[in-house]
Amino acid sequence: MLNTALRRHGPFWFSIFAGIAIWEIAGRSASQAFMVPFSTTIAQLWRLILSGEFIRQFLSSAELFLTGFTLALAVGMPLGMLLARARTLRVGLEPYIMILYATPMVALIPFILSMMGFGFAPKVLVVFLFAVFPVLYNTVEGARSIKPEMIEVAHSFRSTEWALWRDVMVPYTLPYTMTGVRQAIGRALVGMIAAEFFLSSTGLGQLIMTASQNFDTAGVFASVFVIALIGVGLMRLGLAIERHFARWRQ
Amino acid sequence: MPEVQSQGSSEISSLASPSMAANTGEPRIRVRGLGKHYGALEVFRDITFDVGKREIVAIVGPSGCGKTTLLRCIDGLLPHDDGEILVGETRVTEPIAGVAMVFQHFGLFPWKTVSENVAYGLRMAGAPKAEIARKVPEFIKLVGLAGFEKAFPYQMSGGMQQRCGLARALAVEPNVLLMDEPFAAVDAQTREILQFELLRIWQERPTAMVFVTHSIEEAVLLGHRVIVLKGRPSSIHETIVIDLPEPRTRDTLRHPRFAELRERVWGTLMREAREAEFVLER
Repeated sequence: MLNTALRRHGPFWFSIFAGIAIWEIAGRSASQAFMVPFSTTIAQLWRLILSGEFIRQFLSSAELFLTGFTLALAVGMPLGMLLARARTLRVGLEPYIMILYATPMVALIPFILSMMGFGFAPKVLVVFLFAVFPVLYNTVEGARSIKPEMIEVAHSFRSTEWALWRDVMVPYTLPYTMTGVRQAIGRALVGMIAAEFFLSSTGLGQLIMTASQNFDTAGVFASVFVIALIGVGLMRLGLAIERHFARWRQ
Repeated sequence: MPEVQSQGSSEISSLASPSMAANTGEPRIRVRGLGKHYGALEVFRDITFDVGKREIVAIVGPSGCGKTTLLRCIDGLLPHDDGEILVGETRVTEPIAGVAMVFQHFGLFPWKTVSENVAYGLRMAGAPKAEIARKVPEFIKLVGLAGFEKAFPYQMSGGMQQRCGLARALAVEPNVLLMDEPFAAVDAQTREILQFELLRIWQERPTAMVFVTHSIEEAVLLGHRVIVLKGRPSSIHETIVIDLPEPRTRDTLRHPRFAELRERVWGTLMREAREAEFVLER
């Protein structure tokens, strides 16, 4: 029992501890100005948490992330299914979707700044733009891949258009949408930090900027470390959601 | 109409042979001068036949002769260009109540369990929850899927999936069943089992049935009449009455008349094939 558990999880935890050890040694032998050891990073993080500063900035970031991400989901999913069913609309909008999906969103930030200024809304727009396209794109592709036989079965049993969406289109497409959601989580996180860097400085982005300007390398490391952990956590969550909705696929 | 069926079925199958009943009274399906084309391509023309209330009509023909298209027209899934289709007194222009189809590739929704798939037709028909809760287990049991209520399609063999497809169609208690090569996608052994299962179920609950197949044996075993489609565009070449004793069982396969009828249908189809080859060579 213990042996199998060790064999299964041993390499993972060994790798984690080795990484921390290397970080610690490298940090101790490098200049404090550009690298700090793991222990110092955690100590600084603890101080930030105790001061309440960290929690405040974390919540500010979370608000931005969730607002932008929810909007991306609320727009991307229905629009994607609509585009899959309505050919004219799809053909008309496809070039713009392709262009926007391919454009590095960071390049649009100066434009958004000059259009909308420094408030909350432009930052939400940045997060939205980072996140919406994977959701939209995967939903369209998913909804289009539905077998015509499924639609035929629905018609044969005299389904209404509304019931066709509820019983066939939406459940079939959800796993594809969730693949988009998983990709969108990572992109929304990038969008969040980019918005906090380049528009009005708030949240975890501000924490990094301020620490950097004060040559507080430990503070920079602590913030980045937390963002990385959140990223991993969200990716895992995305994968779990995707699997949940795809459990009927082999 | 469903009540009439479920009440009358047991008496009739025990008292009289279904094929005798088939030839009495008004036909359930009347196809009159039916024609269909896709643009310049004419699929079939002048198709005329009836199906009795308790009759199985099998349709055979070479691949691409439009037999599946014909079935889809009868279901109202595809529009037809000439002629008319009447089911009872209703002129078919779109799928109508009382007609259910069993699909070649089962057509199950992979995200729904067996129970949910069987319930689908009833839900679309607007059946009350209590009725669905009562009927779903009944039809799952009828097709021999008891114990698999919570299974998803991918967890089942092809034969079991088609049992589920059959239960979904039967659950709406249709008076017309349309079968689109329902056993073509399962292995030979399973196919034979399902053919006799279908016969057993039909004898319990007889309906008008149109059974499209490319298997001559299957057509002769199940059909009271076999319609042979031929040509391009195709039309009815011959209608062969299958005067085998009822009820059809495994013994039917060993009946001398079975072999004769099989040869007859085979001969009709092969003559067509030879003529077609001859035309090609010229």
